[in-house]
Amino acid sequence: MDRDEPDMNTALMVDGNAVAGQLEQIFGRDMTMTIARCAGCARDAQLGALMAFIRGPGVVLRCPACQNAIARIVETPSAIYLEARGAAYLRMAPQG
Amino acid sequence: MVQPVLEWQAGRVTAIRPETRQTKSFTFALPKWMAHRPGQHYDVRLTAPDGYQTQRSYSIASPPERLREIELTVERIPDGEVSPYLHDVLMQGDELEVRGPIGGYFVWDVRLGGPLLLVGGGSGVVPLMAMLRHRAAQHSTVPTRMLYSSRSAEDVIYHDELNGMAAANDGFEAFYTFTRQPPAGWTGYRRRIDAAMLAEVIKPFDKRARVYVCGPTLLVEAVANALVEMELPIEQIRTERFGPTGV
Repeated sequence: MDRDEPDMNTALMVDGNAVAGQLEQIFGRDMTMTIARCAGCARDAQLGALMAFIRGPGVVLRCPACQNAIARIVETPSAIYLEARGAAYLRMAPQG
Repeated sequence: MVQPVLEWQAGRVTAIRPETRQTKSFTFALPKWMAHRPGQHYDVRLTAPDGYQTQRSYSIASPPERLREIELTVERIPDGEVSPYLHDVLMQGDELEVRGPIGGYFVWDVRLGGPLLLVGGGSGVVPLMAMLRHRAAQHSTVPTRMLYSSRSAEDVIYHDELNGMAAANDGFEAFYTFTRQPPAGWTGYRRRIDAAMLAEVIKPFDKRARVYVCGPTLLVEAVANALVEMELPIEQIRTERFGPTGV
């Protein structure tokens, strides 16, 4: 498809920083400066700088370099699902 | 240092101030207030009588030097779920569930230094204002420029305060661009922010600039791409995209 206008998905995209509250609720600490290494392209990015899609039933976080889905988060009334097979690893400073 | 658990608390509305046609500032007194870093946000949660809950994130406009309360400036999104409630229903004295401060990514304080370039579109100016108010409260003279895109002069949030800051002659300069209706006699920018405009504003700072960009996603995309093409180191660029609305 050949078009210059960015599509609606691009316009709806926000930063990982927008789900900082949800991540902090899950991990018990600020996660926005945590580094995720993309399992697709091996590039590093802070979680706060990932591309975030939050308008669906869950959250999808994508690599800003290759757009691979790093993680998906879905909350149900009884559980939180965090699938992160798109991340080779997370690297964060120890607490304390 | 053990980080306190992020928990919801009831903030009491102590003041509501209209800023522009579409934006209002809400002051909340917080029983569990803690100092934030300029650029951080709070989550706001609404619960309907049937238990349905929805939440949104809003940037803090006030500086951490203001104790025991926070100010959030909120743009009214006509088909929004939360902002019309805040604008049309919420009154002084009401309580609202909030949690924060949140986010360590889009933050600046005087210890980080400069030179600092703040780029905002529409209500994207809100977290940048927290940085500027903090800078002023600390009597910082860090060289700082702001490039602020609005539809018209009436849509400029904090216009008087920004003019006052610029008049203080402490190293802060504000640049405006108007995308729909520039004021009569306006000789400045009258287009969307583009690479040429950014190059002019960033010029004295060159590649040393620490840049914070906040606004509608497409504006932030355009600015971030232009900065990368100028070969500004990517670790000096921080972005906060807030979706499809705005300028």
